[in-house]
Amino acid sequence: MSARYGMVIDLDRCTGCGSCMIACASENNVPSLPQSTARTGLTPLLVRKVSNGEKGERQREVFFPIMCAHCEHDTPCVKVCPQQAVEVDKATGIVMQMPQRCLGCRYCMTACPYHARYFNWWDPAWPKGMEKSLNPGVAVRMRGVVEKCNLCHARLHTAQEKAAAAGKREIDPADYVPACVEACPTGAIRFGNLADSNDPVSKEARSPNAFRLLAKLGTEPKLYYKSQEAWVRALAESNPARNSEVQHG
Amino acid sequence: MSDALVVTNEGRSMKLTRRDLLAWSAGAAAGLIVTPIPWKILDDTSIWSQNWPWIPQPARVPVEIIQSHCTLCPKGCGLRVRMAAGWAVGVAGMKTHPISHGALCPLGFGAHQLNWHPQRLREVRHRGNPSSWTEAHAAFAKAKSEGPVVIIDGYPGRGASSVFEGFAEANHGLYRVVLGAESRALTPYEQWTGAPALSLGYDLENTQTIISFGAPLLDGWGTPGYVTRLWAEKSAGADDPQLRIIQIEPSLSRTAARAWKWMPIREGSESALASGLARVLLEQNLVAAHGPVPPIALSEAAARSGLSEDAIRDLARVLVERQPTVAIAANENPSVAALSVILGSVGVRGGIVRREKIERAYFSANPVIPDARAVLIDSSVPWDFVPQTGAEIFRFAAWNGGLTNADWLLPAPGFLEELTDVPTAPALPVETYAVAPALAKPTYEVQSAAQFLAGTDSNLASTEKIIHQRCAELFRNRSGTLHGQESIAIAKIESVQKLEERLWKGAVWVGEAPPPASLRCELKEWPSETTPAHTTGWTNSWDVPVLPPLASKLYIESSLREAPERRNA
Repeated sequence: MSARYGMVIDLDRCTGCGSCMIACASENNVPSLPQSTARTGLTPLLVRKVSNGEKGERQREVFFPIMCAHCEHDTPCVKVCPQQAVEVDKATGIVMQMPQRCLGCRYCMTACPYHARYFNWWDPAWPKGMEKSLNPGVAVRMRGVVEKCNLCHARLHTAQEKAAAAGKREIDPADYVPACVEACPTGAIRFGNLADSNDPVSKEARSPNAFRLLAKLGTEPKLYYKSQEAWVRALAESNPARNSEVQHG
Repeated sequence: MSDALVVTNEGRSMKLTRRDLLAWSAGAAAGLIVTPIPWKILDDTSIWSQNWPWIPQPARVPVEIIQSHCTLCPKGCGLRVRMAAGWAVGVAGMKTHPISHGALCPLGFGAHQLNWHPQRLREVRHRGNPSSWTEAHAAFAKAKSEGPVVIIDGYPGRGASSVFEGFAEANHGLYRVVLGAESRALTPYEQWTGAPALSLGYDLENTQTIISFGAPLLDGWGTPGYVTRLWAEKSAGADDPQLRIIQIEPSLSRTAARAWKWMPIREGSESALASGLARVLLEQNLVAAHGPVPPIALSEAAARSGLSEDAIRDLARVLVERQPTVAIAANENPSVAALSVILGSVGVRGGIVRREKIERAYFSANPVIPDARAVLIDSSVPWDFVPQTGAEIFRFAAWNGGLTNADWLLPAPGFLEELTDVPTAPALPVETYAVAPALAKPTYEVQSAAQFLAGTDSNLASTEKIIHQRCAELFRNRSGTLHGQESIAIAKIESVQKLEERLWKGAVWVGEAPPPASLRCELKEWPSETTPAHTTGWTNSWDVPVLPPLASKLYIESSLREAPERRNA
């Protein structure tokens, strides 16, 4: 049976510490180039701070971890890619990006409603010696291609290999946990199979406080957010990438 | 051949007209578009240049996961280190750790990159010039023979700390410590309880209300996983949470944004507000304690803090609604500590408790060091500690923090490059002990301060020997539990070797806390106000002067934190 992997992020539990961002970048061998800026850097997962606009004691802020929402229906990036470098994996629902096919036209970046895609403007590089600290499970991406969150696909491969070695067809869910989920100190980011109605994450995605950003576009994103605060839920039809303090290119 | 091109069949030479040239150019341009050759060359060139041989590729080697503990700061979080070919290639939290519960601070997740940070101290430097360990040893031996040596430690309680103490004692020197903000916030209780600050902690598991005066509780305060787990389980998102966090802070910090209640006050008015609250609690008999009444009128507390008198009265009532209530200061602040005493939360379950029975107090380091021949500063000491002295300064550091007046800069082991033990983290209510073996190969020629001292005095015990002694002591006491892959009472462990084996594989010992009532507190007079140093989230309270490159990058590219470059600008 095919899975539909997705996430529910409980915004009430997010303290904006940024551990998920760093764990993600470390897992995926994202280079830390000194020349990169807020417009040109690679951040497959970016936590944005959004305020309720009030002043004084009534002021509130919420932290929105933004990443690829793995849209299920009419996936915008898939539709515009001239190279078939993006596709929705039928077995997992993960929107896959294949850098070897990407020609760097960046149509997908324009099409993505969440601004969750990034372009490799430079050759990947690290300070001398730091290449020894790269994750052996993930290849570095070359200059001139687009990249984004792939739900730590290398970890899925490892889990699949482990299941195959044990003679099983299905992976153990405990073996496949993306780096950001593993890193979250408050358990705000939860990951699971949305196609399984008994999966706790699937149940949470159906809770009244759960919402998806820009759901009106009809792309069926598999990234859900959750909050008890009405003003946060009201952000559902907006894009925190536009409301936050930093604008991304 | 060229003649053939210009000679016609009629034998007359052909002139190349402007029309011919234009026609030829247009034809060439059209041909260029339809022929695949230039596009193929362009494509191949870009693919080729995308894969330069010098572009780093990760090594294709098997990965091993090793459990250990983080030693970047005294919080001692449990680690799962992914090792490949002798190098750390990834760090995650240890889910089974009884204190940190799998959490790490953001810096921890990029710590494996720190050993190659451009600011890594790679060689011995003497007054800005390259030098050698031999010269540094000779200079220190000379200084030692000429006068007293002061040793400054930023992470007391380790095996290395015992080496420092042993050296200071044997050589008529002094051993001084630089405490972190959490420990400094507990120092006012020393004189009222007689217990050293480093033996005290907050029993937050059983606390119902926390009033924090600027302490970054959700931003790296204490052991990150300990506090954030409690908040996530008992407080996050609830209108009426089991654990109420009231954040008193001038600006909307990360903790204030997630607290149950945030009350913005004027900068520097924490002491006035704490005193005002204590006055209301006493005057309105909201607490069982009697006196001393703070010498501040409610109107003055209101004027200085920017809150109304009614708001302070309301806040005082909220503090006693759900007790125990603990007042936590960001730094050393006697008025905030005295508020905890008035609230009756010292020596009670859910309040300030004594985690161990040590009697000795450490002497805090004063930056003014008048009578010393040499000052040796361990790599655990924050870079903002700059001694004012005429003595020769030997500064150990893994990373160059920039601001220093040290004569000698001595490269210390980096992340996971050194065997060390991990004593109890600041502010915890129970004692813990763990070991962090040297997992990574030393990247450069480094020495820890303890190794350096052992090199000058052969009678000193090594850090490793002290760790063995401590393990033997734990085994003899037969008290507490060892938490690793499974939890086991120390009393059930067969031998000290088995205990050491488990500790070396990442287990952590957790002691049994004495009964809370064993801590008695007497506040005779209201303390005078002080102006504590400003403290923010983990980037300011940390002893590592640099951030992992990934952290710097992501701070620049997000709005989460101010990047150090911008802050220092």
